[in-house]
Amino acid sequence: MAAEQPIIHIEHIAKVYTMGGEKLYALRDVSLDISPNEYVAIMGPSGSGKSTLMNILGCLDTPSSGIYQFNGLDVRSMSDNELAEIRNKEIGFVFQTFNLLARASSVKNVELPLVYSGVKRAERRERAEQVMHSVGLGDRMEHKPNELSGGQRQRVAIARALITNPAIILADEPTGNLDSKTGKDIMRLFYNLWQSGNTIILVTHEEDIARHARRIIRIRDGCVESDLPNEENEASYSEAI
Amino acid sequence: MKISEITESARFAYESLNSNKLRSLLTTLGVVIGIVFVILMGWLLSGLDAALEKTVNVIGTDMLYVDKWNWSGGKNWRDYESRKDINLAQATEFCRRVTTPEVAMPIAQKWGAKIQFKNQSISGISVQGVPAEYVLTPGGAVTDGRFFSKSEERFGADVAVVGYNVANTLFPDGDALGKEIKIRGHKFEIIGVVEKRGTFIMDFIDNQTFIPLQTFLGIYGTSGRSLSIAIKAGNEENLANARSEAIGLMRQIRNNQPGQPDDFSINESQMFREEINSLRMSTWGVGIGLVSLSFFVGIIGITNIMFVSVTERTKEIGIRKALGAKRGAIMLQFLMEAAALCFVGAVIAFAFCSTVIAVVVKVFFSDSDYLSSYVPPQLLLTASVVSIIVGILAGLMPALRAARMKPIDALRYE
Ligand SMILES: Nc1ncnc2c1ncn2[C@@H]1O[C@H](COP(=O)(O)OP(=O)(O)OP(=O)(O)O)[C@@H](O)[C@H]1O
Ligand SMILES: [Mg+2]
Repeated sequence: MAAEQPIIHIEHIAKVYTMGGEKLYALRDVSLDISPNEYVAIMGPSGSGKSTLMNILGCLDTPSSGIYQFNGLDVRSMSDNELAEIRNKEIGFVFQTFNLLARASSVKNVELPLVYSGVKRAERRERAEQVMHSVGLGDRMEHKPNELSGGQRQRVAIARALITNPAIILADEPTGNLDSKTGKDIMRLFYNLWQSGNTIILVTHEEDIARHARRIIRIRDGCVESDLPNEENEASYSEAI
Repeated sequence: MKISEITESARFAYESLNSNKLRSLLTTLGVVIGIVFVILMGWLLSGLDAALEKTVNVIGTDMLYVDKWNWSGGKNWRDYESRKDINLAQATEFCRRVTTPEVAMPIAQKWGAKIQFKNQSISGISVQGVPAEYVLTPGGAVTDGRFFSKSEERFGADVAVVGYNVANTLFPDGDALGKEIKIRGHKFEIIGVVEKRGTFIMDFIDNQTFIPLQTFLGIYGTSGRSLSIAIKAGNEENLANARSEAIGLMRQIRNNQPGQPDDFSINESQMFREEINSLRMSTWGVGIGLVSLSFFVGIIGITNIMFVSVTERTKEIGIRKALGAKRGAIMLQFLMEAAALCFVGAVIAFAFCSTVIAVVVKVFFSDSDYLSSYVPPQLLLTASVVSIIVGILAGLMPALRAARMKPIDALRYE
């Protein structure tokens, strides 16, 4: 099988925190490959290391040991600024707590990644408005985050993650702070993104949410417990949502 | 560095200052004081320079004054005191024999004289007995009326040219010309008024009053006073030649033996430059001291508040880094915030100084033309640049701390 080059390739990743002289393993030994247009759910009990793994995959954090290649490039040898560039251009991160700038309007929040890639103001605004429309917030451009509902905030965050056309979208419990109805709306959005060719990894606690993915990775105590394709057929769950 | 990042940083700085107006204002206090000192010092120094230029021009850049006294030397006054007077014969002989300068003339003066007009009087006047040629020197520049003529001098006419203070005190309505005043009981007609020329360097100069030399000698007599000789070299290039001829000739006339020092002094306008230079240096010294002290305090205050600002915005730094902000972009945001903070301080200082200077000049120096009543524009530029540099210095450590944060640590910060 002459597989496509994976976007993400990690081998024997570990993350150790030293607390009061004692070593605490947030991740012990994780190896994974993620290929283009995969839709992956990461599951596991609280404290098992899901967020730690996502932060490493999103180049927000660095592993203590192991290999991490992004599009074939060795991430661990990159400088701070090179990592910033990867985060800016290749990764769209969606957080459980939205992480929007409180003082900026939603369209400004969405524009922000383009500010750091040097796109001119007019083009920035045009692209931001386009993405805002695509997540169904065409009429909420000038609202500040505190003038939006939780679901709307998460849509703004998703729009922000999408605006640079990243190679991969990482979402750490994107529905964790939302009610189940709003959560479903958000999941429909991810599903549509995947359908239109995006690569998505999301972390979740809920089996219901994980069902949407095409591959489910279970983590326990910092190790991969299982890594299986989602057997449910696509048609049945696309109906479900 | 991308344009978009720079404008974003400016927005960031503005937001931050705007949301903490009072805190920002209080923080800039040290910088405000520092900039106030910079501006006041610059203003004083430019006033000093203007006063100096004015004095030098009144004395004349091509003038030499042979005198028993040395203008700049206070400490050797006993030596000067013990010198023999320059008498009329010596002065006249000098003026007859000297060849290099354009013109040389004897001057007799009486300090502490009193001038009367009707029942008013003004004292502390220096009455100067000068020949008609004095009109050729900068000191004889009459603005109102005329100087006395050669024949008036020869016949010892009772005419006077009065200084600005004399005219202004006795004739505040500006109608001094033609009035009859009394000097030592002698009647004089005012035929000319000299414009205001004094600064704090030579404030007495506006109290001078000129009468013909002959008349002067008739009133005050020839003995018991030392005359001066005013020498107009003609141009500055000729000054050195005129000086050496004057020294040689005067030594001869005064019978100074070889090896014996001159028993007279050659005074000139340059001496004031030296005097002003030491004043300049002390202004600088005090100024630099005060400026550095207040900037030191100001920088500590701003650095401190910038650390607070960085801590408050840790989460925001994390978000921006997560979205791809590089170290430089984060640095720039905080440096701009600190620089803007200091620039605001400079603007406040500028407004403050403008008011203070305008009021001080209006109230205390209304008739001086060497102290400007506004802040010189180049000082505005200096103050702005200095404030921005101070801001960058003060913001450096906090900005570095912000730039070096790990994105995940910043994001997790509560
Ligand atoms: N900065 C840190 N310092 C010390 N220990 C940490 C740090 N971050 C995470 N850990 C530890 O690493 C382990 C894994 O944490 P992580 O946040 O990855 O769990 P998680 O699977 O995302 O849990 P949850 O489902 O509750 O979000 C936990 O035991 C946590 O205490
Ligand atoms: Mg987590």
